[in-house]
Amino acid sequence: MGQFVQFAINGLMAGAIYALIAVGIVSVYKATKVVNFAHGYLIMFGAYFYFTFAVIVPGQPWAPAWLASWQPGWMVEMRGELPMFSPVAAVLDWVANLPRILLGLFGALVCNAILGRIIERVLMRPLMGQSIFAMIMVTVGLISILSGAAQLIWTADAASVPYIAPNMPIRFELFGTMIFLFGTDLVNMAVALLLFGGIVAFVKFTKGGIAIRATAEDQSTAYSMGISVPKVFSRAWVLASTTGAIAGAILATRNGISPSLGLFGFSVLAIVLMGGLDSYVGVLIAAMVVGVLEAMTQWKMGGGWAEIVPYVTVLVVLVWRPHGLMGQKEVERI
Amino acid sequence: MINANLKSSYAADERVLNNRYKQAFVYATILGLALFTLFGNDYLILIASQMGILLIAVVGINILTGYTGLVSLGHGAFVAIGAYAVTIFGNLGAGVIPAGLMPFISVPLAVALAAAVGVLVGLPSLRVKGLYLAVATLAANFIVIFLIEEDLFAPWTGGMVGINTNVPNLLGWELDTKREMFGLIAVVGLVSLLAAQNLIRTRIGRAFIAIRDRDYSAEILGISLLRYKLMSFALSAAYCGLAGALFAYFYARILPEQFELALSLNLVAALIIGGMGRTMGPVFGVIIVVMVPEVIKVLFGALAGDSAGAGQLRAPLQQIAFGVLLVLFLLKEPLGINQIVDRILRAANRWPFARG
Amino acid sequence: MTMNRRSFLATTAAATAATGTPMILRAQPKEYVLGASLPLTGPFATAGQLVAPAFAMAAKLFNDEGGIAGTPIRFVTEDSGYVPQNALNNYQRALASEGKNMIGYFADSTGAMKLIAPELKGENARIMGSTSFASELADPATHPYQYLSGPTYQSQFDILLQNIKNEGGQKVAFIFSNTEFGRDPIEHGRKTAEELGLEVVLEESTKAEGADIPTHVTKLAQSGADHCILQGYVTGVWPQLIGGARQFGLPVKFKGTFWGMEKLIADRITAEAGPFLEGYEGVMPYRYFYDREDAPRYQQYAELSKAMFAGTPLENYMSTWAIQTMCGLEIAMKAFRDTAEAGQELTADNIAETLANISDWDSGGFFGGPVSMENNAIGTGRVYGYNPEDGLFTPKSDWFTV
Repeated sequence: MGQFVQFAINGLMAGAIYALIAVGIVSVYKATKVVNFAHGYLIMFGAYFYFTFAVIVPGQPWAPAWLASWQPGWMVEMRGELPMFSPVAAVLDWVANLPRILLGLFGALVCNAILGRIIERVLMRPLMGQSIFAMIMVTVGLISILSGAAQLIWTADAASVPYIAPNMPIRFELFGTMIFLFGTDLVNMAVALLLFGGIVAFVKFTKGGIAIRATAEDQSTAYSMGISVPKVFSRAWVLASTTGAIAGAILATRNGISPSLGLFGFSVLAIVLMGGLDSYVGVLIAAMVVGVLEAMTQWKMGGGWAEIVPYVTVLVVLVWRPHGLMGQKEVERI
Repeated sequence: MINANLKSSYAADERVLNNRYKQAFVYATILGLALFTLFGNDYLILIASQMGILLIAVVGINILTGYTGLVSLGHGAFVAIGAYAVTIFGNLGAGVIPAGLMPFISVPLAVALAAAVGVLVGLPSLRVKGLYLAVATLAANFIVIFLIEEDLFAPWTGGMVGINTNVPNLLGWELDTKREMFGLIAVVGLVSLLAAQNLIRTRIGRAFIAIRDRDYSAEILGISLLRYKLMSFALSAAYCGLAGALFAYFYARILPEQFELALSLNLVAALIIGGMGRTMGPVFGVIIVVMVPEVIKVLFGALAGDSAGAGQLRAPLQQIAFGVLLVLFLLKEPLGINQIVDRILRAANRWPFARG
Repeated sequence: MTMNRRSFLATTAAATAATGTPMILRAQPKEYVLGASLPLTGPFATAGQLVAPAFAMAAKLFNDEGGIAGTPIRFVTEDSGYVPQNALNNYQRALASEGKNMIGYFADSTGAMKLIAPELKGENARIMGSTSFASELADPATHPYQYLSGPTYQSQFDILLQNIKNEGGQKVAFIFSNTEFGRDPIEHGRKTAEELGLEVVLEESTKAEGADIPTHVTKLAQSGADHCILQGYVTGVWPQLIGGARQFGLPVKFKGTFWGMEKLIADRITAEAGPFLEGYEGVMPYRYFYDREDAPRYQQYAELSKAMFAGTPLENYMSTWAIQTMCGLEIAMKAFRDTAEAGQELTADNIAETLANISDWDSGGFFGGPVSMENNAIGTGRVYGYNPEDGLFTPKSDWFTV
């Protein structure tokens, strides 16, 4: 039972990150009707930007020393002879890294926002009104371009990045089993869920959000009501790429940084379809369900089986409900 | 050079090759391939064989995506099924069935198995459309590769480490050189291309096209969506299975990772670049998809020598070039190279009068 | 029609034999070629980029020594991206363009070796080395032309398990990447552990890159293992696993195999994330490059590196991965030269026979002492431990022979 709780919590933590990734795909779909197959690779770029600003830039000779590692006198004193992985030392190490973590997150957000805008302007806008197939395939082409470009820019060197939150171990006993949790994972989960909630609230309550929803309903009507549809498009892409940047930074700390981060996009795509392309709530449920199922599979059957969990569940759900758990059924007229 | 095709009967209009130029083109191709098989150098034979195998699979995708309008991002799985099935049947039947007859039994079985799995994967296509179908097939691709790698089936599939394939033996003729294999691939490739051309002029092909243009309208006209969508899936999977069987015969060993998502995307990309819903589309597409990396390789070798630093740049550049080509065609020439070629031929035909 | 080409060749051969001019067939080529595929891109690019300079050095070294009986040798390296299919294409392309001049090939993965192995027959047979220590390859009966330049992964597991047993370990965990590289020795390891009386409490497969570290560490923590062997990783995943386990305060001792034992990676991790690799140990078939005493070959390499790579990090240190490749090339060169000196033609069969019979070879410092090829592999190695303070791997055991 204790083990079950352990893996359920692990699954929820992974599910929250899936939800954060998924929110980008859903937002772009809502505004532009494009399903972005390359979203995973946007996330990979976010991870690499985080790596650039949190590791490469502070490591340069011209960067001030406090950027790489902030060591005020009081902190060095407190750190003293604390063992490396004690909770206080973990917090202090995090504080020392804080300047570069903030720079990394800021840099990732800005760069990914720019990247999102470029993609929208150059590739997506010319395709307005084209067939679904053409739009899917353009994002498939984008996968090749992005992963090739990442290899050109950063080579394929795997490296580690600083945790976003203090990484102290949390241990307690439950039903006779020791439960192990990482502090940073709990913070990641909180960040992911807050961002998710924030975006849903933004789309629901703000003027910009209403413009997105109106465009989703009917582009030409929205246009005639004075909504600038191109602006809505680029806003949606920027929203997706910035949430992607945060998700990328989190994934980079969790799973290490490598071009294979792009593959997360495919499992998240499965999750999005499972939840229903245009339903935030459905996607959140699907992300949590897949996260937990994956963790349980990992626990009982091993890593290989866990990798196909999202794909099997999406097939089952699609056969049962062709538009996902809570997706809107399209009405077709001849 | 202005000319027209005079057809004085319906029969003439319904022929597979409905004018003399097409006939001449086919005969010239046969002659060219025969000469190439005999005299082409080893390197070109190798490249041409890879093209031939890919071509058969892309012809299959063309039936599904180009003619029936159903999107699949998972056809690499059917190539895998064909390749593994022909190998496994070959191993199981060794000693029971005479070696010289084996390909005549194992290849049809493998193709039939691929088609059967195609029907299974196609089942959701009745309820799920467009994008949902693309993701469903993508999921199927991941699952098939996973099953092949799984320990449970490893005694037959070899699991993750792959499996050695058999040398095809056609009635005692062992095709153990790449050149002989190319001969076989060329014959099978040409026949399957002509078969696809034939298919679309029949009742079935016309039903496919009706479904592509508007599936509900087609249903109202009395075309059974269930039957024809599944048939389209089965046919395209069968083509991919055939390509897989040749793949297994061509290479001495197969690994599951050769049939992953990258292959599926490659197949669809080749179709888009070449031209969807046209017989010659897959041919043009496959030539581009196989040749562009080779050309980049040669250019790079000429410009940068074979220093390691340059070698590091080449693979990412090949990948980017692939993506850019795909995007450019979608944005600028959605009908593919076939359309460009058509335009040139039309201009030549009307010369010296109006172009276009 | 091919029958005609064949019968033509047969007739010509018969004619030459009859007229007594076999010299034409045995004409010395102007140069020999050894092709290679390296992972310059892809998940193991770091390794490929460290190995690539070794080929430049080998070309200089071997040709200065007179090549193969006076004929120079040229190395052609190409990128594979760690995709076996690419390596196979590279091999077939090299075969088609270099023909008989190509006497050997060097592949970059277990997958590539296995994919190419069945292609090596008749006229297309070439001698093949690689960066892989896959156990399946160490079998002259099934893979006569392929060799390993060290012990198989299975042998490495044997060494580690014996070492764990000697240290008084009881519960062992295996964590490995879900690739054939990772899975290679697991089954064998399970058997050996049983024979030694060790309990295998966890067999956990992970993704080769981008693995879900918290879940894997949790499973390790709950298994109660006292030792953990990591297999199938190069630059990523294994350091994060160790880091995660240390954060939980797990007392597990981690052991690695060849590919997880590179000083450059361990140093980089220490610099980036702190000295948590303290106590990490693993098996290494070769001496580290800084252990150059009584190693004349290493001293030669050191001089060459200084001259050829001045100003780069390679100037003073050669990675274990480059050493592995150099060892592989040394073995191939020894086989080529011995075959040529014996007056035999450099066909794959002749070379393979010479290579399989290499015995009591003084490698000039790679190994603990003279070594012999057994089952096309060299079954030796010892356990080294890492010290984050000075960044050196130092011996923790004597040389094992398995």
